[in-house]
Amino acid sequence: MTTLQDQGADESIAEALATPGLFTTVGLSVHYGAFRAVRDVNLSIREHEITAFIGPSGCGKTTVLRCFNRMNDLIVGARVEGTVEYHGVNLYDPAINPVEVRRRIGMVFQKANPFPKSIYANVAYGPRLTGLHNKAELDEVVERSLRGAALWDEVKDRLKVSGLSLSGGQQQRLCIARAIAVEPDVILMDEPCSALDPIATARIEELMQEMKERYTIVIVTHNMQQAARVSDRVAFFTTEANSDRERPTGVMVEFGRTAKMYSNPSDPRTERYVTGRFG
Amino acid sequence: MDELRKGFHNDLDGARAELVRLAASVTELIPRATAVLLDGDLEGADYIIQGDDEIDARSLDLEEHCYRILALQAPVASDLRQVVALMKMIADVERSADLVCNICKAARRIYGHDLDPKLRGIISRMGEQAQQLYTAAIESFVENDAAKAAAIDDMDSYLDGLQKQFVQAIFESHAAGRIDLQVAVQLAVVARFYERIGDHAVNVGERVRFVITGWLPEHQGAARFRQRTDDTGELQRLTTTTPGEPSS
Repeated sequence: MTTLQDQGADESIAEALATPGLFTTVGLSVHYGAFRAVRDVNLSIREHEITAFIGPSGCGKTTVLRCFNRMNDLIVGARVEGTVEYHGVNLYDPAINPVEVRRRIGMVFQKANPFPKSIYANVAYGPRLTGLHNKAELDEVVERSLRGAALWDEVKDRLKVSGLSLSGGQQQRLCIARAIAVEPDVILMDEPCSALDPIATARIEELMQEMKERYTIVIVTHNMQQAARVSDRVAFFTTEANSDRERPTGVMVEFGRTAKMYSNPSDPRTERYVTGRFG
Repeated sequence: MDELRKGFHNDLDGARAELVRLAASVTELIPRATAVLLDGDLEGADYIIQGDDEIDARSLDLEEHCYRILALQAPVASDLRQVVALMKMIADVERSADLVCNICKAARRIYGHDLDPKLRGIISRMGEQAQQLYTAAIESFVENDAAKAAAIDDMDSYLDGLQKQFVQAIFESHAAGRIDLQVAVQLAVVARFYERIGDHAVNVGERVRFVITGWLPEHQGAARFRQRTDDTGELQRLTTTTPGEPSS
């Protein structure tokens, strides 16, 4: 049993050092050209946990999330300093193939973005790319993935209709099904519920709890109550003012167990943000 | 600093202010109950006992106010600790008012019996000390002063000592034939009421510390319990180490 007192951030740092996480970042900084978007992030993401990144706009939480599957590579001028280790392997090692990284580390975006294809083709897309063409096997993968995304019962009779014909919440679950079809290890979620109504949001949150038995989830959310409801650990980011002309740089302030962060955070900046005493 | 939840924080401040007013009412009742007891003021006793309905009503309103805050505002961090602590403190303050009434009821039962000066003197001091404990508890709450809140525990030791002295004085007075057994028993119970009021003030102080630090004295006992409970849940030999309090 843990108490408010012994769930400290310090304890989680000690724990992180004792049990290396699935992802470990050391001194992670990301620059877009001359602008330093986020600096010196040290954190350790544990397997089969849901880790939430919270903080005001521009604090670098999405930027850090995108480092975990090298999505920042696709932005011209983006440069990553420090290390991001995944299972102890440096993800930014030149020998690493980013396509393989993105197969293992899937991503779900803010706006549901199904391909303009059938529901079936959306889910089968990734497995087909990896060379799976056997109809029976593909059927099985599609069913398993749609079940895994809690969408199967709603669409099993209309797998041939366009993914775009589904509701917003269903489209987002279709994207989750598409992400898990290639059997990834990790699912990164960038504001997955911000365009959804409360019921669709609750469905995704419930799904995340089921999914964490099989996957590790990292979620960026603007909804602090969502982070409180779904996550095991929270990293709080904020912005740090630069000279007048430059945009502020993001920094990670505190990383700890969710219950601790929402009942007795260690850093006064976290306290001010979660209680709304901060603009 | 920009304030994003002004309405909510004003609401929370309002609940805090009401707790202060409620606790101040109880603090004022303590010397009045002592006067009722020492002067045999039956009218004053009735007045205080009837007034308890108002304390009950205000306690209930404040508790419902806290429920509303929890339901509608989903407070977190220190805001959450405030609301949870308020709900605990309401119970302590309301119970203290009941104990004040009990002192008045005891005053009715011993009406017409003379008490010797030593007993009267200790009753006065117990009343003063209980009032001081409550005053310190309220001040520590208003000022968010964890050090002052921690000092209430020591002040309570003095009240506990007075209670023991008083029981001894009751024995002596009874042995000398100055009070009969029925009065002696009533007086012993009165001493217990003052001592319990002090304990409730200590509880309020502990909740003040909880709001500020997230720590409660019970954490020490809980830590000792965990230490002597091994993985299989079997009790190990009792250890004497006491985990320290946080410095903050």
